[in-house]
Amino acid sequence: MIEVQDLTKQYAGRTAVDHVSFKVEPGEIVGFLGPNGAGKSTTMRILSGYMPPTSGTARVNGFDVFQQSIELRKSVGYMPEMAPLYTEMRVKEYLNFRAELKGLSGKKLRFRVGEVMELCALTDMRRRLIGNLSKGYRQRVALADALVHQPPLLILDEPTNGLDPVQIRQVRELLRSLRPAHTILLSTHILQEVEAVCDRVIMIHRGRIRAVDTPENLTRKLRAASVVQLEMQGEGEITNLIESLPGVRKATLDTVQEGWLYLSVRVEARHDVREALMELALKQQWKIREMHWQLPSLEDVFVDLAASDPSK
Amino acid sequence: MRTFWVLFKKELRAFFISPVAYIVLALVMILSGYSFRAALSVLESAPSEGSIVTWIFQPNWFWLSYFFVFPLLTMRLFAEEKKMGTFETLFTAPVHAWQVVWSKYLAALLVYCVLWVPSYINFQFVDWITAGAVEIPAGALKGSYLILLAMGMFNLAIGCFASSLTSNQIVAAIVSFTLSLLHFLAGLFIMVVGRKVSESFVDITNYFASMEHIRTFTSGLIDTRPLVYYTSLALLFLALTHQVIEFRRWRP
Repeated sequence: MIEVQDLTKQYAGRTAVDHVSFKVEPGEIVGFLGPNGAGKSTTMRILSGYMPPTSGTARVNGFDVFQQSIELRKSVGYMPEMAPLYTEMRVKEYLNFRAELKGLSGKKLRFRVGEVMELCALTDMRRRLIGNLSKGYRQRVALADALVHQPPLLILDEPTNGLDPVQIRQVRELLRSLRPAHTILLSTHILQEVEAVCDRVIMIHRGRIRAVDTPENLTRKLRAASVVQLEMQGEGEITNLIESLPGVRKATLDTVQEGWLYLSVRVEARHDVREALMELALKQQWKIREMHWQLPSLEDVFVDLAASDPSK
Repeated sequence: MRTFWVLFKKELRAFFISPVAYIVLALVMILSGYSFRAALSVLESAPSEGSIVTWIFQPNWFWLSYFFVFPLLTMRLFAEEKKMGTFETLFTAPVHAWQVVWSKYLAALLVYCVLWVPSYINFQFVDWITAGAVEIPAGALKGSYLILLAMGMFNLAIGCFASSLTSNQIVAAIVSFTLSLLHFLAGLFIMVVGRKVSESFVDITNYFASMEHIRTFTSGLIDTRPLVYYTSLALLFLALTHQVIEFRRWRP
């Protein structure tokens, strides 16, 4: 679906995207994850045919982004960041215009515009001026526009940016429902988003790819330390004993409530210390009523990644 | 071609959704109505050289409307798309840059042509009121509208170019106004100092003297040279506009 080879984009004296290569297979939902200014939007603009790369090649649906830009654009639904729209137009009028521009006409056009308005919950808003719509509705108009010509590939630049939690959930559900027919490349700097929606994550930072993996693997593999939460009763030098276990970095007593001790045990990455903890508890005759291994969130991974950046 | 029509329709609608077209229309109607009334009073008071057509299209208040029309009609065209970021949505749809440039330009040109319809109705009025007593020379009338169209093509192309350079409509309007005015003054300047320089120099500068063009065309003389001049300059500025729009696609 998407094949990117050594893609580089330089703006005057600044490299926004630096020798990036990746692939997206049909039917996948791939998340582009990175902090602001990482090069996500630039890469997506290149892939949608808006501007050419400085060097390297990219093929989308078999079309070269520079040589076959027009054919490429017909097969891609692109939603830019911030959802720029013609504010003086009405919702339905705008979607009709965009659908016509993308080659739809007659019955097919009326059917598709009606369908995407229904899909994006815009039917009640169809006569409203876009300029008077809230951010959430504008975002949906842009999404409806990207979907209207039934492109096999959707490129969505921060599709949930500026939405409230309910709307975010709606958009995620919508994206998941598109899955079999559409391949989706979406960008975000919100970590729960890739965890909730994506099959694969491409992590990009300062114009370079840092990691490509499934969201679960990524969290498991990366170096970020994880935490085991413990609720227990017992005697003795509890924290010292726990810290003597292999793989444990630090054990801290958070609170004591009604005789129960609440502990957090920080462990090295990829060390499951739960069994060892249990054995220790039996030996010391501690009572444990809850033990929970908390995997690092992508948030932690992200902070770790930014901190460990060698170029900084 | 289909894409062009879709864009053209949208641009034309945008003109009449925003108040700009109506304001410009009102402005031009007031000024052409005034010059019409003034022309009538000149013809009433004393026998004069020239027809009603020359008295309407030559005086100074005609030029007053002339310079305001073009920036007002064109400033929005590209600058607003840049400002709103809609260029990105536009150029990720399957459209070519030339389709965008021509659709915007021709929509502006059509609106410009509509602006002169009331002035034409004025001439019909004269005919009707005076029951044909005032002679309206048909050739001069055709010539006047022809040169207005040619000058409009030229100045609207300048306006498009100015609008493509910036994302600020005010800046676009000022640039387009300045370029139009400079062109006009260059022609006027020679008319003023004309007697002091050599004859051949005056001849050359007459090629771009708008005042002179209006004078010949409103007296019914249809000269192809200014028509070619304005059309080719219009094409030049449209080509420049196209280049500016395509700038993002340039490879360094």
